[in-house]
Amino acid sequence: MSHQLPAILFLLPLFAAISMPVVCLKHRHWSHPIAVAILAAMVLVSILNLQNVIHHGEVRYVFSGWTVPLGIEWVADGLASVIIVLLNAVCLLCVVFTGPTSPKDLGGRIVHYYTLILLLVSSTTGIVFAGDLFNLFVFLEVAAISSYALIGVAGGRALFAAFRYLILGTLGASLYLLGVSYLYAVTGTLNMSDMVDKLPLLLNSKAVLGGLLFMFIGLGIKMALVPFHSWLPEAYTYAPDSISPILASLVTKVALLAWVRIIYWVFNASSIINDVPILLLVEVVGTLAAVIGASLALAQRNIKMMFAYGGISHIGIILIGISQGNPTGFAGGVFYLLNDSVMQAGLFFLAGMAFYQYGVRTIDDMGRVGKQAPWLTGSLIVMALGMIGLPPTGGFFGKWYIILGALEAGNYVSVAAVLLSTLLTLAYFVRLFEAIFSQTSTRLDVQSGEIPLSFKLTLGVTSAAIMILGLFSSPIIQLLLSQALPPTL
Amino acid sequence: MADALLAVLQRPNFLTFVIIFLWGFYIMVTRYNLVKKLIGMYLVQTSVIFFLVSISAKKGATLPVLLSTTEPVQAASYANPLPHVLTLTAIVVGVATTGVGLALCGAIYRKYGSLDEQEILEKLE
Repeated sequence: MSHQLPAILFLLPLFAAISMPVVCLKHRHWSHPIAVAILAAMVLVSILNLQNVIHHGEVRYVFSGWTVPLGIEWVADGLASVIIVLLNAVCLLCVVFTGPTSPKDLGGRIVHYYTLILLLVSSTTGIVFAGDLFNLFVFLEVAAISSYALIGVAGGRALFAAFRYLILGTLGASLYLLGVSYLYAVTGTLNMSDMVDKLPLLLNSKAVLGGLLFMFIGLGIKMALVPFHSWLPEAYTYAPDSISPILASLVTKVALLAWVRIIYWVFNASSIINDVPILLLVEVVGTLAAVIGASLALAQRNIKMMFAYGGISHIGIILIGISQGNPTGFAGGVFYLLNDSVMQAGLFFLAGMAFYQYGVRTIDDMGRVGKQAPWLTGSLIVMALGMIGLPPTGGFFGKWYIILGALEAGNYVSVAAVLLSTLLTLAYFVRLFEAIFSQTSTRLDVQSGEIPLSFKLTLGVTSAAIMILGLFSSPIIQLLLSQALPPTL
Repeated sequence: MADALLAVLQRPNFLTFVIIFLWGFYIMVTRYNLVKKLIGMYLVQTSVIFFLVSISAKKGATLPVLLSTTEPVQAASYANPLPHVLTLTAIVVGVATTGVGLALCGAIYRKYGSLDEQEILEKLE
């Protein structure tokens, strides 16, 4: 039974997504409790799966009994299992958050929304577990198509942002597929563990290098890496407030995870392919992303746009950690990915709540809220601590291990980039707090009313999670170091 | 230089792939009409699918259906079936993406009364 858990994790939301439009045809208000129940079950099953993986080692799930080089395989190893627990928990929070906002926010398209969310969750499960390069492509596209539709679901300005995302995202997917077909043409296999055996003899091949670079550019577009990030800020800013958190915490992170799989589990990352050091390339791009993303965030006035650029800079920081080529940096990078997922969800909850409750969209509006909003200000302080990376939040320990890894590898430029990005993050949060605590601006005349329970719950849980991830960082890092390291480190 | 040119001409499938891909990419970048952008996007997808199919071709090979069940399988006498299967999936993905793209175009047209990117951007300001 326990080895079926990865498949259950995928099939549960998939069947729920398919049956949702039928079941909720007459009773639209059922869709919210159904989605919450399914995601709660997912969290439970993914915890069971993690326990199983920790005690009995990784699970290799082979579909329909076709053995490995021929069939499609899923690998539930330590890394995938840890990440799937967190992603499902964050999804559950996102769905809980949307309870009160969604009917107004989505223009009545609630059933569409929950169907697409469940589809997105099932495809991210696929991306995290996939042990086959083409299978990965299919799930990437299912996730992408559901996110295009989610962004556009409420219409308005988001439609145009969704269209741009669609054009760029499809270009990324095509480049990824091109990379896969290069590697297939050279090695004759699509299975990751099978390709590992065949690649060492082919490292001087230009086709392998070309395939890897095409995959990198393709996934780079999907994870909004800096030269290819132009779709993300608009898409996340104009998307309905109930949708931004789930997209920000899921979509870019799973694309990054797919890239980690490819460089560490398919290629031996420390190797030099055809005179091109891949890790150094990733590190340089990560450095640029960390600094440029944070500087662009500093220039924004819309708070959602600011948080979106903050997310772009964090992708860079995670890549810096991943690319150090030592266990400390890798574990730090993965730990920061977990934190970033929680923080991004929390920040977009906050932005959504600020608009729903107080009508706040820009930094200047934030000043009018002032100290009237203890929930808003309190959770913003915790999330800012996490984003800047001050102890005892998880953000601090993530950056700490990334910096330790970089020092171990002697990459002082990376250390400087992480510190510079931290300073820039500090700068844009200082702007936000300056607006909140300055008493000069006129007060909010709109009486806001009682804050819905789901807002308090989600903001409270994310703020607590940021702290808890920090306080329990040592066991989590130990778990990552013992269970989630790639075989080559 | 001449060698490289000859090598390219011996593989017309790769040349065709590059032409279709760049053509699609050029349309995506230069046209302001959203439907034309979608057409460019579709060309890019199709070019990759074409590339994937073309690498499975072999000279003197036949359909991947076993000619004889008693003799050992001669891989050289059958075309590789796997890229075709992958292609089918990739086509389905492409159709789904184009469908969502067209739906978005329709919604944009109903809202802004135009499909021209510049006109829409002016209305957004």
